[in-house]
Amino acid sequence: MVSRLREWLRDRLGLEALEHVADKKDVPVHRHSFWYYWGGMTLFLFGIQVATGILLLLYYRASADEAYESVRFIMTQVSFGWLIRSIHSWSANLMIGAVMVHMFSAFMLKAYRAPREATWLSGMVLLGLSLAFGFSGYLLPWNQLAFFATKVGTDITGAVPVIGPFMLRFLRGGEHITGGTLTRFFGFHVAILPAVVTVILGVHLYLVTHHGMSVPPSVEGRTPPPPRMKFVPNFLLRDMVGWLAALALLALLAALFPWELGLKADPYASAPAGIKPEWYFGWMFQTLRMLPSHILGIEGELVGILGIGLGGVVWLLVPFLDDPRGQGPRARFWRVLGAVAIVYVVVFTLLVYRGATP
Amino acid sequence: MRLPRILIAPLATLALLAALPAAASAARAGANPQNSCLDCHRALDDARLAAPAKAFAEDVHGAHGLGCIGCHGGDPTDADITSMDPDKGFKGTPARKDIAEMCATCHASAEFMKRYNPQPYIFSMAEFRTSVHCKKIAVGDPKVATCTNCHGVHGMLSRKDPRSPVNRRNVPATCSKCHNPEYMKGRTVPTNQYALYRVSVHGKALLEKGDLSAPACNNCHGNHGAVPPNTRDISLVCGTCHGREGELFAKSKVKAGLELEGKRGCVTCHGNHGVQLPTDALIGTTGDGVCGRCHESGSAGARASDVIVPAFHALKARIGDADSLLAVADRLGMEVEAGRELLKQADDQLVNVRATLHGFDTKQITAVLTEGDGLADKAIAQARDALRDWRIRRIGMALSVVVILLMAGLLALRIRRLERGPGA
Repeated sequence: MVSRLREWLRDRLGLEALEHVADKKDVPVHRHSFWYYWGGMTLFLFGIQVATGILLLLYYRASADEAYESVRFIMTQVSFGWLIRSIHSWSANLMIGAVMVHMFSAFMLKAYRAPREATWLSGMVLLGLSLAFGFSGYLLPWNQLAFFATKVGTDITGAVPVIGPFMLRFLRGGEHITGGTLTRFFGFHVAILPAVVTVILGVHLYLVTHHGMSVPPSVEGRTPPPPRMKFVPNFLLRDMVGWLAALALLALLAALFPWELGLKADPYASAPAGIKPEWYFGWMFQTLRMLPSHILGIEGELVGILGIGLGGVVWLLVPFLDDPRGQGPRARFWRVLGAVAIVYVVVFTLLVYRGATP
Repeated sequence: MRLPRILIAPLATLALLAALPAAASAARAGANPQNSCLDCHRALDDARLAAPAKAFAEDVHGAHGLGCIGCHGGDPTDADITSMDPDKGFKGTPARKDIAEMCATCHASAEFMKRYNPQPYIFSMAEFRTSVHCKKIAVGDPKVATCTNCHGVHGMLSRKDPRSPVNRRNVPATCSKCHNPEYMKGRTVPTNQYALYRVSVHGKALLEKGDLSAPACNNCHGNHGAVPPNTRDISLVCGTCHGREGELFAKSKVKAGLELEGKRGCVTCHGNHGVQLPTDALIGTTGDGVCGRCHESGSAGARASDVIVPAFHALKARIGDADSLLAVADRLGMEVEAGRELLKQADDQLVNVRATLHGFDTKQITAVLTEGDGLADKAIAQARDALRDWRIRRIGMALSVVVILLMAGLLALRIRRLERGPGA
C-alpha cells in the first residue's frame, strides 16, 4: 500500500529528481565536520519558529491596546499557550545563536571561498534577516522592556548619517514609538520578513546543494582526500539527533525558565533601570556605550555606528578580499581577524551583562 | 507771579483736600509711585525706624505697588517731615486693638482684593471676632496674637512663600511662638501642643517629609477664627480629611455614647496633637487595643470585639498567605497577575475594614470582612493552581525530555546499525 502510494506520488510530483539530488549529496568527514551541523540546526530552529509563530498568530492582536493583553491571554488562558510562547521566544534566541555559530564557523573554515561567494552573501543576508526578526518580534508583546529597548534601538538607527532620520521614521511610522510602530513591526515580523527569508533561504539551500559542502583549506590538499558520508540517511540522521537534543533543551528552558511578560508598555513612564537590548545586539550596544563622547571632534556614537557599518561591509566582502586558495599570509590575516572578531563579540556581549560602563 | 503769603496756607489746604480722595483711592488701589516715607526711613541712622523701610522691599504689599499710606496715612508725596502731619492723615503706629480692623479695610473687601487675585481669600472680621484671640484683644489682653503676630509686619510675605511664617510648613512653629510654656505662664491653655505635634504622624509628614497634604495647626483649629476644637464635634474636624471614617463615626452609636460620657470623639482613641500612625494593634480589648479602655470584659462592646478582632487578623493572615504563595509561583516563572489582582482587591477590603471599624457596626464590618476573605481565598486558589500547573509542567517536561532522548538514542542505534551494514 505504502509503496503504491509512493509510486503514485513519484509519477505525479517528479520525485525522482529530488531522490537523485539526495542520493548524490554527501558530506566530507574530517576533524572539522562538527561545524557542518549548525546550518541544519538553524534550519530546524527556524522551522520551530514558523510553527510556533503560526500558533501564536491565532490569538495575538497587533494593537497597542490589545497586544499585551492578548499575549497575557495566550500565556494564562490558552491551552499550552505558555509553552508555545516560551518555545517561540527561547527558540528565537537559540536560532540566532546557531546562526552566529554557523556564520563564524563558515568564516574560520573559509567556506566562503570561490565558488561559494554567493552562498556566503546569501547567508549574511539571512543573518541580517534573523536579527530583523528578533528586533521586530521583541516589541510585539508591547511590554515595558520591549518598548524602551525598541526606542533605544531605533534611536541608534536614527543616528546613522544621511539615511538615519528617514530610517527612524520608517521604522517607527512617525517620530515616536506608538501603536503604529507596533502594527508596522508586526507586518515586518509576520509578512515581509518571512517572504524575503523564504526566497533567500531557498537560494542559500540551492547554492549549498549545488556546490556541496566546503572543505577547509587545512584538509583540502591532503592525500588521500577525506572520506565522504552520504547525506541521506547518514548525515541527516545525525542532524536529527542534534535537533532532538535542541528540542529537549527547548522543553527544559520553556518549563524551567518561562519567558516573562513583564509590565505593559507605558510611553509616559520613565525607562526601566539598566535597560539593554537583546543579547545579540549587546556587543554593538556596549561598543557605542564605551566610546568617548567625541573622537577627533566627531560625535563618538556616530564614529561607532560608522565603524560597525564599515566592519559589516568588510565582513560581507571577505570572499573577495581573502586569498582564494585559503593559504598564505593574506589567509592567515583574515583567520586572525576572524578570531579577534569572535573574542570581541563574546567579550563585549558579556560586558553588557556585567553592567560595565565607561 | 507770586501769591500773597496769606493765601498760601488756605490754597494749599484746599489743594490737599481736593487731592485727598484721589490719594486715598490711589493708596487703596496701590498706585503710589512716590514714597517719601521709604526714602527718608531708609536713610535714618536709628535702626528701629529704618528697619521697616528696608524690610518693605520684600513686602507682598510693596510688590503689588501699595505703600505705607494705606496703614499709616500721611502724605508720601511730601519729602519733608510735614508728610507725617496728623493733618495730612498720618496715623502713626496703629493701636494693637485696631490692627485687625485696619487690615480688614482692604482684606475684607472682595472688590478690592480681586484687583490683585481673581480668587482671593476674603478675610472676615466677623469670623475673627469668634476667635479666642480677638475676644482677648477686645478685653485688652496685650499678649494675644493679632494679624501682625502671625503674618509679620513690613516684610510681610505671601503665604505661598516658603519663608512666610504662615506658609503651611511654618505654621506650627509660628503658633508655638506664643503657645509655649514660657509665654503662656499663668494661663490655663495647654502648651505642649508643638512638642506633641512634631512627633505626631501629621507633624512628621508636614515638617520632615514636606507633605503639604498633612494638616498644620490651622487646618483643625481654623486660622482667623481659631478656637479649641473641643467645643465642637471633633469628627467634623478630623473628617475634613478622613472623610469616610468621620462620616461613619458621626452616624455611629459610639459617638453618642462618648458624648454622654463627655469624651471627645476621635481623640478618645487616637489622641489629638500627638496622634500617631494608627496600627492594627489599636483594634481590640487586649494589649495596646484601645477598645478595652472603655469596654470591660464581658460587655457587649467587648463581645463584639471578640468576634471582629480575630476575624480581622485572620483576613490579614489569609492575605499574607496568598502573597507568599503568589510570590513563590512568581519566582518559579508562573503567570500570577490574576492572583495579584485578587490580592489587591483583598487588600483594599482590609483597608475598607479599617475604615468601617469607625462605624462600630458589627454587621457592616463582618460583611466587609467576609468579602475580603472571599477575595483572599480566591487569590490563594489562584496561587495553588499556578503551583499545581508548575508541578504538572515539570512532570510533562521530564516525560517529554525522556521521550525525546529516547528517540535520539534510537536514532543513534539506527545510525550505528546502518553504518555497520554492508552498505556503510
